[in-house]
Amino acid sequence: MRREPIGAGGAGGASRLAAWRAPLAWLACLLLLAAGMAWLEPLFRWFQPDTRQVIYPHADFLTLLGRHLLVVGVAALLAVVIGVGAAVLVTRPAGRDFLPLVAQAASMGQTFPPVAVLALAVPVLGFGTWPIIVALLLYGLLPIVRNTLAGLQGIDPSVLEAARGMGMGGVQQLLQVELPLAVPVILAGIRTSVTINIATAALGATVGASNLGAPIISGIVNGNTAYVLQGALLIGLLALAVDSAFERLQRRWISSGIG
Amino acid sequence: MRREAPPPNRVVTALMLAAAMAWLALPSVSVAPNRIVPGTPFHAHEIVGWAGALVGCLPWLAMVALAWRPTPTRYRIVLGFAVLLLAALPAWLAGVAALRMDPSMPQARLGIGAAVWLLLFLLGLVLIELRGRLALPRIAVWLLLAPVVLAWWLASSHGLEALALVQEYRGRSDQFAAAVIQHLRLVGGAVGASLVLGAGLALSMRRHAGLERLGFAVLNFLQTIPSLALFGLLLAPLAWLAANVGWLNALGVRGVGWAPAFLALLGYSLLPMVRNTFVALEGVSPQVLESARGMGMSRAQVFLQVRLPLALPVVIEGVRITTVQAIGLTAVAALIGAGGLGTFIFQGLGQAAMDLVLLGALPILAMALVADGLLGALARRLDPRQSPSAGQEATS
Amino acid sequence: MIELIEVTKRFGSETAVDRLSLRVEKGELCALVGTSGCGKSTTLRMINRLIEHSEGEIHLEGRQVREFDEQTLRRRIGYVIQSTGLFPHWTVARNIGLVPRLLKWPAPRIRERVEELMALLGLPLESFADKYPHQLSGGQAQRVGVARALAADPDILLMDEPFGALDPITRESLQAELRDLQSRLHKTIVFVTHDMDEALALADRLVVMRAGRIVQQGTPLALLREPADDFVASLLGGDDRGLKEAAIIRVAERMQPLSPRLLPRARVHRDATLRQALAVMFREHADRLAVVDDEDMAVGELSLRRLVESRREA
Repeated sequence: MRREPIGAGGAGGASRLAAWRAPLAWLACLLLLAAGMAWLEPLFRWFQPDTRQVIYPHADFLTLLGRHLLVVGVAALLAVVIGVGAAVLVTRPAGRDFLPLVAQAASMGQTFPPVAVLALAVPVLGFGTWPIIVALLLYGLLPIVRNTLAGLQGIDPSVLEAARGMGMGGVQQLLQVELPLAVPVILAGIRTSVTINIATAALGATVGASNLGAPIISGIVNGNTAYVLQGALLIGLLALAVDSAFERLQRRWISSGIG
Repeated sequence: MRREAPPPNRVVTALMLAAAMAWLALPSVSVAPNRIVPGTPFHAHEIVGWAGALVGCLPWLAMVALAWRPTPTRYRIVLGFAVLLLAALPAWLAGVAALRMDPSMPQARLGIGAAVWLLLFLLGLVLIELRGRLALPRIAVWLLLAPVVLAWWLASSHGLEALALVQEYRGRSDQFAAAVIQHLRLVGGAVGASLVLGAGLALSMRRHAGLERLGFAVLNFLQTIPSLALFGLLLAPLAWLAANVGWLNALGVRGVGWAPAFLALLGYSLLPMVRNTFVALEGVSPQVLESARGMGMSRAQVFLQVRLPLALPVVIEGVRITTVQAIGLTAVAALIGAGGLGTFIFQGLGQAAMDLVLLGALPILAMALVADGLLGALARRLDPRQSPSAGQEATS
Repeated sequence: MIELIEVTKRFGSETAVDRLSLRVEKGELCALVGTSGCGKSTTLRMINRLIEHSEGEIHLEGRQVREFDEQTLRRRIGYVIQSTGLFPHWTVARNIGLVPRLLKWPAPRIRERVEELMALLGLPLESFADKYPHQLSGGQAQRVGVARALAADPDILLMDEPFGALDPITRESLQAELRDLQSRLHKTIVFVTHDMDEALALADRLVVMRAGRIVQQGTPLALLREPADDFVASLLGGDDRGLKEAAIIRVAERMQPLSPRLLPRARVHRDATLRQALAVMFREHADRLAVVDDEDMAVGELSLRRLVESRREA
């Protein structure tokens, strides 16, 4: 779908910053809103005229945002390390026996709804932050494994043969040829994984996590639309900021690396 | 001349060694006197003694032995073992229930332990591995799983009445049926509406490039917003509409309930639907289209006889993705009172009743898998390049 | 009979075909050759109106193509392209029966016609009728493409690099088949190719194009002997031209009656080309060859000296 001319960006610092305009704008909106929610009290009062409390009181929004980011970030980091690692392992000669199983399981696992995975993680792992991180990690692994496999296997075999023919070793070939060529596809997998996890982490509020999902759940339970809106706006902005940052990354990689 | 012995199947070996360890080291069941109190875990050796537990290791080790020098016949035997064990697990649970449960305590509940979950998971992986090794058709796997499902279903009414999941179901079988129907209705409605709307949108996008850019921008944007947030954001405007527009209120539109759920589901469903329909229609080879025109087909003939049939498998693929996604999102919609199986999940989480969570989550999982399987099979059937009758003898 | 009069095609500001006039007689195989981008494909596709010409007139059997209904016109003209354009979701038989079905022939007649064409193109019915295009080799697929173009028995056939994607051996055998078909069916064929050997081997008339114009046209021999300019000469093989010419002349056309001299040991078949004969001479260190028939009986002889001299006279 992307029709932007490739490699059009100049090398100047200003234009490089301009390229990051969209994610930075979303990030600024997010931080401003999280920090200044209290100032919007009159607006929310208009929504919820009969309620005494219209700003979510149990925690500071910046703290909620921080916790949300922490959970998603830790899960994503682990998922990238484990997911890319596993995909690399099963595409090496030593691990190739496991390739069909891992590929099949990763694509089948994506059929599982994330809510169901989160719900199933609770009986097994219990309530709290770590169970949520583990659930997010497990689910977030799938798109990363799948895309890394697709990226590595999608490389033109003649390129690999050339790399071997030039006398590259296995590690050199992996680090200098295979992974760089697979990066756009891997990035797309990480993007999917993180997007889903931001949404699923919010559901973690129903199992006792205190993050941006908490105002929404609390608002629904107490019939306070203002709480719901506050949580929903912040999560929406967070998702957009992260997503547009990934989009930028993907484009930059394509225009600088391969285009 | 001696034939070279085949190398060991390391996948089956690793999985089944893990299974044997899980069997010994993790609790098979937990028994609780009532719904509230957390259960006491029991390991296999605590139920049948160490001798019995070690005997229970034998089938796993037998599979390891068979996979050490694998032949197609041995793979088939391993497959038979795996199916047999999947079907034997409920019998094992029923046996434990008979041994460990006090009949004088009708409130007592049997929970499925980590070992049994893990064994189910590992056996599932073995099935996937063997299906690949033996190149079995998908339908064979479904047929193999039928006796397993039957065994679990039979056990639920004969010997496993104490299973907590069964008890949760007994308590609300009517609610359960209603929830399943509501879930299916929401998914069906959203997918159906998005198919009609999405096809229309994709067709008009093909005419107007501006609409294409705008449409994908909006739909991508929508898809990025987390479901919980979108449900929340729809709450306020719909509540206002319900309060101020009479006929909408009469229709049953409220800030909470099916209306915001349906709208959000529709919004999420449109992107995969439009994208696949659009890509499918645009992706038909230009050479094929040119030769269709060159042969003297009219525009309508080219569209109906060439473009559409060639696009159809990809469109169905879009329906598959959309349906699987909608099944999961509908579960979240329970939070805003839309009903469906998600209700049990969130009730269960609220009451710390994990078996109620399972009662919601397991059917959702099953629904997603079945929808995925059926629609995937349909897409493959419609694709001449993959249909079984066409075979795989393409020459270059 | 096809006639193009002062035909011009512009795409935006670019002129792809520039005041081109060309007449293709009934039953003639006319090959359009030239480097890529010279407008040969565009010219071809203007004939069945896949591309509309900007100026000039294109006549088909005396009527302007614009007067025809587009679809009726195309159903009367067979069309074969390099990538075959077979419909991947239809079987071979259904693909071949496409145009007759569009023309609403009765089903039994379509079936009969499909069987006839499959036999004509050497595609055994029982093993191919129900196959899908992706199960065919490149050569088989292109045979189906030709069968599909011939299905409604059109008088005119347009072929756009039909054998361009095939390996040399398959290409040569399909070229031979096309030559054979043409000697029986006498269609009017316009054939686009950039393979000069293919054009020389098949064409009754060669049309060399460059930048949207015709540089030279005539029989292959005429062009080989008298290229209008350096471009045509180099397109036709530069210094190899002589050999190319030898490759389209049969030994039988140039052999002399047996002379009383001792028959040379080296021999060549009467249906071989002069080029092959020259190769035999070179290999056998001989300047005379015995020409033999199918029974290996000498029917004439060929001398290098006479060959070179006759070339000079011609």
